[in-house]
Amino acid sequence: MKPLNVLVIDDEKVICDACWLVLSEKGHHVTHRTTGIAGLLEIERNGAYDLILLDMKLPDIDGSQVLKLIEEQSTKLSVIVMTGYSTLSNALEAMKLGAADYLPKPFTEDDLLATIEKLFPDS
Amino acid sequence: MVDARSNINGSGGSVCACPEEPPRRKMIAVETLTIDSPMTGSTPYEIYFKVFRDIIRSMHSSSSLQEVLNVVVVKSAAVLDAKGALLRIFNKDTEQFDVRAACGLGENYLSKGPVTTEKILPNPMELHQVKIITDLWHAPRVEYPQEAWDEGIRMMVDVPLAVRNQILGLIRIYLDHHREFSDDELDFMLTIAEQCACIIERVQLMENQQENFHHLATQMDKMSSLGRLAAGIAHEINNPLTGILLYSSNMSKKVSPEGGLKEGLDIIIKETQRCKIIIQGLLDFARDTEPQRMSANINHVVESALGIVENEFHLRHVDIGLTLAKDMVNTLLDENQIEQVLINLLLNALHAVAECGKVFVKTSVDQAAGTIRVEVVDNGCGIAKADQKKIFEPFFSARSNGTGLGLAISYGIIQNHDGDIQVFSSLGKGTRLVIVFPIRTNNATEKVFA
Repeated sequence: MKPLNVLVIDDEKVICDACWLVLSEKGHHVTHRTTGIAGLLEIERNGAYDLILLDMKLPDIDGSQVLKLIEEQSTKLSVIVMTGYSTLSNALEAMKLGAADYLPKPFTEDDLLATIEKLFPDS
Repeated sequence: MVDARSNINGSGGSVCACPEEPPRRKMIAVETLTIDSPMTGSTPYEIYFKVFRDIIRSMHSSSSLQEVLNVVVVKSAAVLDAKGALLRIFNKDTEQFDVRAACGLGENYLSKGPVTTEKILPNPMELHQVKIITDLWHAPRVEYPQEAWDEGIRMMVDVPLAVRNQILGLIRIYLDHHREFSDDELDFMLTIAEQCACIIERVQLMENQQENFHHLATQMDKMSSLGRLAAGIAHEINNPLTGILLYSSNMSKKVSPEGGLKEGLDIIIKETQRCKIIIQGLLDFARDTEPQRMSANINHVVESALGIVENEFHLRHVDIGLTLAKDMVNTLLDENQIEQVLINLLLNALHAVAECGKVFVKTSVDQAAGTIRVEVVDNGCGIAKADQKKIFEPFFSARSNGTGLGLAISYGIIQNHDGDIQVFSSLGKGTRLVIVFPIRTNNATEKVFA
């Protein structure tokens, strides 16, 4: 199993902590940021991330803007979009902007791990 | 036009002389009008022509129904050289005939209340006939004979305002002496009444359309507010639910499978996922989700919905009667959405009936109209008339613990299926909700029975 470097960008600390718990138990390294700008700065500072878990509704800038900027910085980064507005059109929009997958909130540990496993079969 | 006239001498039929009875409904204020002077020196045909021309002109030039009705009563009284005339129109809310225009009558007589269809038209076969009333005291149509007599009235002529097979109102012409009427006179009165009925119908249609438009505009406004609210709620609630779901699903794997802890955590997971579905439903409603139509038999959807609510009914000792159409045909519908609607209607019926009440479900096919009907009937508390228009509005609920969303969601779903829900209810007697769907085959626009 290959451990992943994961960055969670979500303004809800409870979600960041829960993702940290679930993913660190599987051996992944997890960092979190609670604003879009802090998330982008973190990616710029530490380019070694494999996966970003990105909330679409952030307090400073819109999740889709963050997604665009991430894609501009690095096309190698995989982004899984998390949102409370679970519609097909939201998912398609996120995919068009370059998201690797889509995770409608609320989700279970299994939902999260299965989505990651689809992108990183060796994880 | 001999068959258009008949005399009523009051034989048979009950007379309700109740002068002391207060008006049952507040009367519409009636303007005091003066009858035109008799048109002396003119031939009857010149008189008819002038009166008819004046009425038609007022119908075409006036934007107010009241002005037209005023002209009609004044001219009707004048053309028959009568003491006065009174025009009543059916009020669909009270199901009675209100006075809408009058001339030549005293306030005492006009202060009498509205009258029922039974009084205006005791015999439906007389819908298109002029009635001449010569014996005020015994004619079943005369509700206030004493007042009429005191007013100096000795004879009445009733001219119905009817369109097709429906009575819209009545013109009653009052005379202070007995006289004979020629067929031409009666024929002329019927012609005026036909014109008048047409314009009343037209105005009522316009008023209905306006009312429907306002209702729709209010509804859309509420829906749009609900949409914004639902989106906000979805985000705010889904975030904490994510925390609950992630932690509980994580812990559930760590605890012993035998202990009560595991069971409790699994309940938390299940209930949190249920919250997710409820919120999704709210979002779907706010978004007006297009139905995923598949060819299905509505009888099966009804049976499936009944299977889900069966226990609830059993617990409250409420009987469900079921009649499924044997000739039911398949139609394109979203089974999940329609099942949701039926569950909703069934649970509403269950709440409406007391313990040991009865609920009936019936499906039927109207091949001529190309429609399918599902009726949910209960013998419960019923819905007040004023509330019947509101029950499909979001947040309207007669129950203290109701969200007021069930019927609003159901209404949206049925509308998206190009169907309709109608409500028929009487307080204390029960409610009948009727869903009507057009029958659709695989081609969405093609009707099976077209």
